Amino acid sequence: MWLSKFKELKLCLKAGRVTLPYPLAPGETMKGFRGRPVLNGDLCLGCGACAAVCPPRTIFVIDEQDTRTIQVDYSRCTYCARCEEVCPVGSITLNNEFELATTNKNDMKLSATLSMAKCKNCGTPFTTQRMLAKLTDDYYPEWMQVKVDPPEWFSICPDCRKKLEASRLKGGSKIV
Amino acid sequence: MRVVLIGMLNILIVLLLSPLYEGIMRKVRAVIHSRQGPPVLQPYYDLAKLMLKDDQIAEGNFIFKSAPVLCLGSIILVALFIPLGTAAPLGFAGDALVLVYLLTMSAVFIILGGMASSNPYAFLGANREMMLLLVVEPVLAISLLTGAIKAHSLLLSNISGYMLANPTFSMAVAGLAFFLVIQPEMAKIPFDLAEAETEIMEGPFIEYSGRKLAFFKWAFWGKQVIFVALFAQIFLPWLRTSFAPVNILISLLEVLVLVVVVELIATLNPRLKIEQAIRYFAGIIVFALAGMALALLGL
Amino acid sequence: MSTGHELLNQIETKFPGAVKVDSVTERVAFLSVCDEQLVALADFLANQMNARFVMEIGTDKRPVNQKYELSYIFCLDQEGFEISLKVMVDENKLEVPSITPVIPGAGWAEREVYDMLGIVAVNHPDPRRLVLADDWPEDLFPMRKDFEHDNRPPAAEVKKIMKEPDGNATVVSVGPFFPTLEEPAYFRLFVEGEKVVGCDYRGFFSHRGIEKLADKVLDYNQVPFMAERICGICGFVHSCSYCQAVEMAAEIEVPARARYIRTIMLELERIHSHLLWIGLAGHIIGFDTVLMQSWRVREPVMWLCEQITGNRKTYGMNLVGGVRRDIPEDLHPKILETLDKIESESRTIIDAIIKDKPLLMRLQGVGTLSREDGRKLCVVGPTARASGLETDIRVKYPYAAYGELDMKAAFQTGGDVLARTLVRAEELFTAIDLVRQALQKMPEGPIMAEFSDIPPYREGISLIEAPRGESLHYVLTGPDNRPYRWSVRAPTYAQLQAIPDMLSRSTVADFPLIVASIDPCFSCTERVETVDRSSHTIKTYRREELLQQLQNKYRGGERS
Repeated sequence: MWLSKFKELKLCLKAGRVTLPYPLAPGETMKGFRGRPVLNGDLCLGCGACAAVCPPRTIFVIDEQDTRTIQVDYSRCTYCARCEEVCPVGSITLNNEFELATTNKNDMKLSATLSMAKCKNCGTPFTTQRMLAKLTDDYYPEWMQVKVDPPEWFSICPDCRKKLEASRLKGGSKIV
Repeated sequence: MRVVLIGMLNILIVLLLSPLYEGIMRKVRAVIHSRQGPPVLQPYYDLAKLMLKDDQIAEGNFIFKSAPVLCLGSIILVALFIPLGTAAPLGFAGDALVLVYLLTMSAVFIILGGMASSNPYAFLGANREMMLLLVVEPVLAISLLTGAIKAHSLLLSNISGYMLANPTFSMAVAGLAFFLVIQPEMAKIPFDLAEAETEIMEGPFIEYSGRKLAFFKWAFWGKQVIFVALFAQIFLPWLRTSFAPVNILISLLEVLVLVVVVELIATLNPRLKIEQAIRYFAGIIVFALAGMALALLGL
Repeated sequence: MSTGHELLNQIETKFPGAVKVDSVTERVAFLSVCDEQLVALADFLANQMNARFVMEIGTDKRPVNQKYELSYIFCLDQEGFEISLKVMVDENKLEVPSITPVIPGAGWAEREVYDMLGIVAVNHPDPRRLVLADDWPEDLFPMRKDFEHDNRPPAAEVKKIMKEPDGNATVVSVGPFFPTLEEPAYFRLFVEGEKVVGCDYRGFFSHRGIEKLADKVLDYNQVPFMAERICGICGFVHSCSYCQAVEMAAEIEVPARARYIRTIMLELERIHSHLLWIGLAGHIIGFDTVLMQSWRVREPVMWLCEQITGNRKTYGMNLVGGVRRDIPEDLHPKILETLDKIESESRTIIDAIIKDKPLLMRLQGVGTLSREDGRKLCVVGPTARASGLETDIRVKYPYAAYGELDMKAAFQTGGDVLARTLVRAEELFTAIDLVRQALQKMPEGPIMAEFSDIPPYREGISLIEAPRGESLHYVLTGPDNRPYRWSVRAPTYAQLQAIPDMLSRSTVADFPLIVASIDPCFSCTERVETVDRSSHTIKTYRREELLQQLQNKYRGGERS
C-alpha cells in the first residue's frame, strides 16, 4: 500500500505545475478557433443567408424605407460559424477573440446598413443595390469580355415581374 | 511573570501562526495537484473576509450562537497547557489529563453547534464527529497514559523528559498510535468525515457564516498546530538546545515538517466511511492498549 | 431468413393478426399494433424475447390524421435489431394501457407522455407528474401541436407530489443544489442514522424546451446545433445521433470520410468524458488528487478538439448528410502524439488507482446492481456492462464507421461502483485505439453528401453509444424543411430509474458516489419538452425580505 502511495506521489510531482498564467498573460487559442463574429459592412450584400441559417436566430434582416440593415446580436451567438460558412462574399467571419465580456449589451451588436434598389415599375424597394450590382456582374462576368446592359427585368421587383409576365401571357404589353 | 509571558507567547503562536501553517498545507496540496494554488497568506485573508462578512443566523438559540466562541476559547486554553519549546505555561501535575479534556471540549462544542443548527446535514456531521470522537479520544488518552506510566508522572514535561532520556519500545508504540490519530483530530482526509464537503456539505458548519464561521475555522487551525506541536514535544523531544528562543524556533520547524507530512497523507487518500473509520480506530485502540500493557510490563 | 422476418413470424404465430407491418429492414421493423394487444406484446418482447425497452415517444399527429401516435421502441441486443411498436390513440379517447407493470423501466416514459400529450397510461403504478414544473396548469400539454412554443401560461397552484417516508426515517434532502451534483436534481433520502432506507427523485428542473423549439421553429440544419447543447459533455453524440436519424429517414448515404470523422470525434469525446468521470468520482470520495491529475491528463484532448473543430466543447461539426470540417493529413501526427501521451499517463493513473487499497475500500461492493435488476430497469452503457449486460451499441448496432473498425466491448460482472470504474477505464483505452484505427483507415473523399429535399412523414431512429450509455434520437420528418417530431432519450433517463435500487442497501456517505457512478447528466435527461418553468410574475425582493423568506422557509422545512 505504501508503495502505491509513493508511486502516486511521484506521478503527481512529475507533472509539475500546469496552471497557466492567464489572465496575466493572454490566453492562446488554436488556429481555426471560432470566436467573436465580425461583420464587414463593405462587403455585405444584404442577402440574408446568414439570418436564414443562424441556429439561435440572432441575425436579423431589418428592412426600412430605403435601407436594409443586417444586424448581428452576438450576445446570443453560439459561435457555430454557420453564417461564415454560407456568406457568399465572406463579409461575416469569426475571429479568435474570446474575451467578450462587456458592461454594455449594445457592444455585442453589429450591423451593416445598405441602400435598397427600387423597382422601376412600382417604386418599392425590393433588394439591395449591392445585390443588384453583384447579380449584374455575375450575369456578364469579366472573362466574357462582353459589355452588355443587364436585362430590363433585373431592376423590377418580383411582384411586378409576375404581374407583367401574366399580362404578357394574356396578350398585353411586354415589359416596359 | 515568566508564566504570563510564555502563556502569551503560546497563545500568539497558536492564534497568529496557525493560519500560516494552513496556508502552507494548502500550498503543499496545490503542488501535489500540479497547480499553482492560493497564496500562502490566503487563510489570513479568509479570516479577515469572514470577520467582515454579515453573520446569517439560522437558529436563534444560545448554543448555536455561543458554540464558536467557546470552541475557540477552549483552544486558547489548551494553548496554555502545551509545551512549545519551553515548559508549558500552566504545567502542573496532571496537566496531561486536563489537556485531553480540553481537546475533547473543542470537538464537543463543534458537535453542539452542529446539533443546535437543526439542519439534517449538520446533524449527520455532528453524529459522525461524535462517533469518531468515541474511538479517537481513547487512543489519545491511552498513548499519553503510556507515557505517564513510564515516567511515573502525569506532567507532560516529565513524559517528554522521560522520552528524551529513555526512548523505550512502549513509548514508540504510544508515539505511533498518537501519530495515527493526528489525521482525524485535525479533520484531515481520510478522516474528515464530519465535514465531508462532497457528502454532507461541511456537516456541523453548514449553517455558520461570517464571524462565527471564522471562529470555528480559526479554532480548527489552532487545533492543528496544537496537536502537531504536542506530538513533536512529547514523542520527538531530541532536537533541543539550552537556549529557549532557539527551542521555540526548532519546535515551530518540527510543526512545519509534520503538517507537510499530514497534508501529504491527506492528498494521497480518499475519505473513508464512518464504519470503516471506526473499524480502523478500534484496531488502533487495541494497538495502543498493547503499548500500555508493554509499559506496565516495563518495556 | 433475416432476424426481422423470423421475429415477425414468431409474433404472427403468437398473436395472429395483432400486428401490421409498416416497414422492415435488416436492422429495424416498424410495426403497428392495436392498444388491446399492446401489453401482451410488450410483455412477450421484453420478458420472453429479451428485448430491452428503450423509449416511448408520443407524437401529436392530429393535424395529419386526427390521431396521437405512440411509438414504443425496443431493442433486441443479441441480434442487433430494433422494433418500433406504434399505437394510434384517438383524439377523443386519450388513454392507452400501461406497460410499466410488465416492464418497470417504462415507468418514466409513460409519465412523460402523459405530461406532454395528456395521454393516460391506464394502470400505471406511479402516475405522478414527472417532467412538468409543480406549478404548471393541470390541463395544458406542451407537446401538443396547438400549444405555441412561446406560450407562457400563468402559474397554477403548487402541488406537493414527493413521497413521505414510512416509519421513523429522517428525510435528508439532497439537492436541488448540492456540491457534488453539478446540475439541479432533487433526491429525497429517507435515512435511519447513516443508512438509506428509501428515496424519491424529482428532477427535470432544467427543461429548456429544446424539443418544442424543434417542433415549431428550427429547420433540419439548425437542430444539430441545438442538439449539441443538450449535454455539456457529450454534445457531439446528440448532434450526430440526430443527423443519423434524419439521414435514415431520408435515406441519405453519408460519405465514408464523414463517417470516419464522426467516429473519431465520438471517441475523442468518450476519452475526455471518461477521464472527467474518473476525476469526479475521486473528488466525491475526497480524493481531489485524482480529480486534478485526471483532468490534467484530459486537457490536451480538449485542445485537440479545439484545433480540429474550432471549439473545445461545442464542436458544431455535424450537419444532416455529413460533417463541416475535415481532419487534414498534417494534423494526424499531432493527434497520434497527444493520444500516446494520454494513453501512457492514464495508464499510470489507473494503475495507481486499482492498487490503492483505501480507494478500493470506497468503491467495492457499493451501489451493486444485479444483472437481473439491470435488465428489468433497462439500464444502458457502462452501468449495464458493469452488471454483465452485453449492450454496446457500437458492436451490436454499428453506426458511423464502427462496423469497419476492430473493437471489443468492455465487461465486468461485479455490478458495483468498482466494476463501473473498471469498465470506463477499459473503454478509455479502447477509445484511444479506435481513434488510431480510424485515422489509419480513413478514406479520401467528400465529407458532405449531396441530396435533394427530405421527404415528409418518414421515421428515423438512431442509437449511439454515448460515454454514459445509449442515447436515442427519433425523428419524424415533416414538411417545410423541418422535422415534424424530434425526440431524445438521453442515457441518464434510463439509469436514473435504477438509482433507488442501487441506493437501497447503502449509506449517506455512499450516496453521492452511487449517483455519480452512473455518470449522470441531468440536463441531458431533462433536455427538452417544455417551455422552461412557467413564468412567475417578477417580484423584486429587498435583501432583508429575501433573507426573512429563506429563514422562514427553512424553519418550516424538513428537519431531523
